[in-house]
Amino acid sequence: MAQKPGSKKDSAMSKKAKPVRSKKSAVIGRPVETVETLRLPAVMQQVAYPIEALAPKVRQQTPAVGQRATRPDCRLHGLGQTKYIDDMSFPGMLYCKIKRAGIASALIKKIDVREAEAMPGVMAIITGKDIPVNSYGPSIKDQPVLADDRVFHAGDGVAAVAAVTEQIALEALDKIRVEYEPLTPIFDPVEAMKDSAPKVHPPSSNIYATKLIKKGDVEKGFRESYRIFEDTFTTQMVEHVPLEPHCSIASWDANGRLTIHSTLGRITLGRTDMARTLQLPISRIRMVATIVGGNFGGKNEITQEPALAVLSKMTGRPVKGTFTRTEEFIATTTRHPIIMHYKTGVSKEGKIIARKVRLVLDGGAYCSWSETTLGKACILSPGPYNIENVHSEAFVVYTNKTMTGAMRGFGAPQVCFAYESQMDEIAHALNIDPLEIRLRNAFHEGSASPTGQVLHSVVVKDSLLQAAERYGWKEAR
Amino acid sequence: MKKRGRGIACMWYPIGFTVAANPSAAVVKVNEDGTATLLTGTVETGQGSLTVLGQIVAEELGIATDDVHVVSADTDTTPMDTGAIASRTTYVTGNASRLAAEKAKEILFQVAAPMLGVKPEQLEARDRKIQVKNYPQRSIGIGEVANQAQFVMGQPALGSASFNPPTVALDPATGQGKPFATYVYATQIADVDVDDETGEVEVLRIVAAHDCGTAINPMLVEGQIEGGISMGVGFALQEEMLFDKNGKQLNPNLTNYIMPTSLDMPEIEVDIVKNFDPTGPFGAKGVGEPTAVPTAAAIMNAIYDAVGARVYSLPATPERVLAAIKAARAKKLPKPKRKETQKRIAAH
Repeated sequence: MAQKPGSKKDSAMSKKAKPVRSKKSAVIGRPVETVETLRLPAVMQQVAYPIEALAPKVRQQTPAVGQRATRPDCRLHGLGQTKYIDDMSFPGMLYCKIKRAGIASALIKKIDVREAEAMPGVMAIITGKDIPVNSYGPSIKDQPVLADDRVFHAGDGVAAVAAVTEQIALEALDKIRVEYEPLTPIFDPVEAMKDSAPKVHPPSSNIYATKLIKKGDVEKGFRESYRIFEDTFTTQMVEHVPLEPHCSIASWDANGRLTIHSTLGRITLGRTDMARTLQLPISRIRMVATIVGGNFGGKNEITQEPALAVLSKMTGRPVKGTFTRTEEFIATTTRHPIIMHYKTGVSKEGKIIARKVRLVLDGGAYCSWSETTLGKACILSPGPYNIENVHSEAFVVYTNKTMTGAMRGFGAPQVCFAYESQMDEIAHALNIDPLEIRLRNAFHEGSASPTGQVLHSVVVKDSLLQAAERYGWKEAR
Repeated sequence: MKKRGRGIACMWYPIGFTVAANPSAAVVKVNEDGTATLLTGTVETGQGSLTVLGQIVAEELGIATDDVHVVSADTDTTPMDTGAIASRTTYVTGNASRLAAEKAKEILFQVAAPMLGVKPEQLEARDRKIQVKNYPQRSIGIGEVANQAQFVMGQPALGSASFNPPTVALDPATGQGKPFATYVYATQIADVDVDDETGEVEVLRIVAAHDCGTAINPMLVEGQIEGGISMGVGFALQEEMLFDKNGKQLNPNLTNYIMPTSLDMPEIEVDIVKNFDPTGPFGAKGVGEPTAVPTAAAIMNAIYDAVGARVYSLPATPERVLAAIKAARAKKLPKPKRKETQKRIAAH
């Protein structure tokens, strides 16, 4: 994102700016006019920063809350000058690339790295055996940093290479030979729930967490209902797709203290995970993040960082790892596909009397944030409605697919699609306006949630009416 | 033929997460010139959370937003934070930041009270001054008080605090309990055009009315809502990770994994629902995740309204929508737009 100096004044300032020497740079130091003619400068052009403190004006004085205050980082974003982790570089830094399994379920018989290790420019290669404690996870510690004896999904890393350039590291990956003994994979979460299904993490059951919310008596509610609606809804697996991929740099100082510069959104938990996987005291680890280029839940836990730290320690050099777009898809968390069965009994007036929900979440190969997602999906599944009788049960199941985890909404967009689609069906079947049926059922101040919590600051009706008014719901037809 | 339809969906969403405690801590230092520094362990992930936290601290100290510098995301220097997750930053980290600023302010009040000849509880912080309540002419600049605190009283104005949302663990047998401290609510209404010959859906307009308690920064709330809707549109109509029979992904790239671009985005109209949550910092709750929650449901209901076909499986690709239209025709389900259908039949 090179900035084009617009005015002559800018160009003059750039010329005066002291050129920074960089071995990557071929264009820096040339006259600015020449640089401008290049369509794709390989190195960001040096610009002189305007040194003016952002001193607040009188109108920006208190009160601060409610102001449309501009962000201090927007200037850097606008100038293309925000420094993300991948923009950082340390002297002698090496580049890490990870060999991906490409097979969904298998035993690893042998990993031969000799040919790759012999390549000039390859500084170190590690496998799962080199990670002191090769497992992590926010609740269940079921995820290896690098798969060592078993592959759980096709995106699993099996070896990590540190080399002087990214290209050499990539070439080395092709020379690593891995022998697998394929196992029968399981991809369908409903099939995976059966006792006869192959176990993803033997001897553990494929159903790794469950949740139940019970209120009133649903069967009695169904008996009292005027009509009963039953539907099954399903959703797909999606990726967060942040513009900035996962990136970290590991470096050690002479006191044996580890610094990780990372795109993580949760450095506190990240540091704890690093201490556990590397068997280091927490005080020996520093985690630094900068502005993250999009998270949406996908950067909530460590991924490659322990491998980078081990490679850095072995080589005595800083090691950077940046995921490719493909790795973003195959080796990071995704949104849970959910199979949602809804059974709802209503009165003639469209009042929901009872609702029974069954959710099956496809958890992928590892737990990650599935327990939180399961909890939120289950608790929120009846919708923002006063319902006397609720029974909601949810299961999250291992499959040999990319792991699912935290993603903007934690299961809520999926269940909202189900409960609001069914609400619409009920409205049409009973010939009630879709807005009206929601107003008849919606929570009010002091409503009890499905978990029996008394709710405060409830404005679901206000939001319905405000949106309808803005849209022109009543006038539209 | 293109058919127009409208769909409505509302939702509720909790602030913070369940299963474990999710605290945040914060440190506020008032500098010698009356500006302040906030130390927080949260990470700016693009949503503008640091700006919001700065505004909260500024409001508590009676100074301007730009007077607050926020230092974040370094485990060596910043206090513990559960992180930028679960729409919790404004509410949880915001509460911690406000409490830390309040503690620093208490020191300023103790120092200013004898200077103004009143008791500390008679003071307020406003317009970069410590002033006597109802007597704004009796005031001292906050920088002067901070200086006095540091160099004369030997008591630098700084405060630290933490906040953890009060929850009650759910009963494992019944699921009864208080899993979250508070919730937000929202409604979105979508207008779509559906081509009943190809199944293609175009989202034309989305009206979004979101509750976030007090909007600390309405511009950032609008930004969150627009971003959330773009994710919602992708989830509803386009995005899907596909696997082959061996469990390898077929489309792990942006050529074949189709996301909405600016050309796919509908016209978005944002309304912030007026609300105040007494448990949040200055009445604020949060807005991050909920913005992506009701979009898909509103679009699916609009598709039904347009062509009388219900989509049960996301994403609603043209193939799926066309199949749903054919299924609806086969079942001869009652269509909401009967008059129009009859007109079309008559025209044929």
